[in-house]
Amino acid sequence: MKRLFTVVAAILAFSLNAEELTFGDQVTKNEVTLISDILASPAQYLHKDVTVKGTIVGVCEKRGCWVDLASDARFQKLRLKVQDGEMVFPMHAKGRDAIATGKLYAIDLNIEQTQRHLARLAERNGETFDPASVTEGMAIYQVEPTGVTILD
Amino acid sequence: MIKRPVIDWFRLNRTLHRDIGYFCIGLTVVFAVSGLALNHVRDFNPNYEIVRTQLPLTVDLTQSDQQINDELLNAFAIQQSVKATYWESKNTYKLFFEAGHTLTYHHDKYVAVLEAVESRPILPHLNRLHLNEAKASWVVFSDIYAVCLLYLALSALFMVRGKNGALSKKKIGIVLAGVAIPLIYIFL
Repeated sequence: MKRLFTVVAAILAFSLNAEELTFGDQVTKNEVTLISDILASPAQYLHKDVTVKGTIVGVCEKRGCWVDLASDARFQKLRLKVQDGEMVFPMHAKGRDAIATGKLYAIDLNIEQTQRHLARLAERNGETFDPASVTEGMAIYQVEPTGVTILD
Repeated sequence: MIKRPVIDWFRLNRTLHRDIGYFCIGLTVVFAVSGLALNHVRDFNPNYEIVRTQLPLTVDLTQSDQQINDELLNAFAIQQSVKATYWESKNTYKLFFEAGHTLTYHHDKYVAVLEAVESRPILPHLNRLHLNEAKASWVVFSDIYAVCLLYLALSALFMVRGKNGALSKKKIGIVLAGVAIPLIYIFL
């Protein structure tokens, strides 16, 4: 298996160059808002342009239509989601830092969706979860980027 | 009296249809192949082959991140340096390497999964063109291609004269069926 990994790594090291990748418009690099600040008080940023920075910790495998940026706070991340084909983020970008500018928006979940979402999170964290404890829906926040720069 | 040459519009149309058709072969293949790939993207990843290797593993999470990294790297005999790390949850820890490889440790399941990402050879390039990720010049070229396709479609109506012509009673049904299918999807 070591050989397999070495071979794959060698092939990719030659076939890829970790140059800066840009998608869409220019990002406003000097006005970065912490992801933890956005997630702590999303109403303050909702439907407004924000610029965020973080390590790419997830990429849409099939269409490259989203990336997850790690927050500066533990266990948090923020998804950048584009319409299919508008920007196509490469899988190889995982682990690289990115800066993105775009509008923060909310996906409102009803009670059932909230229960499912929180149950998934609880399972991931190895915690117990009581669906009855959910009495109202919640929102998930994402950014629809107009510009993304994946740093080298 | 000078006789004006008579233009044979029917023949001219056929000649143009043929030559523009030849011109469109390359792009039609690109769009058709990538179209099929993108249509079935849920069943088949046309851009990447992702090789996953899973190992049963128990790591003591009370250690420092560096010690956890070392333990995970040893388990998979990985000699590459770690590019970034991320605690997704209390039980899920990820290591990232160059070229997008990811090693994920699931403490709740006591397994570690190594994902090696490899680009497929041709399809990603075709898909890039199809999704118009390339530079602005491609927009011009694909606009020209779209106009050519429009011409091929309309000129096809006048390719054959007589009882087998596209507008004949015998064949008009085929033309209308092709028009009706997208209309049904639009209005139903």
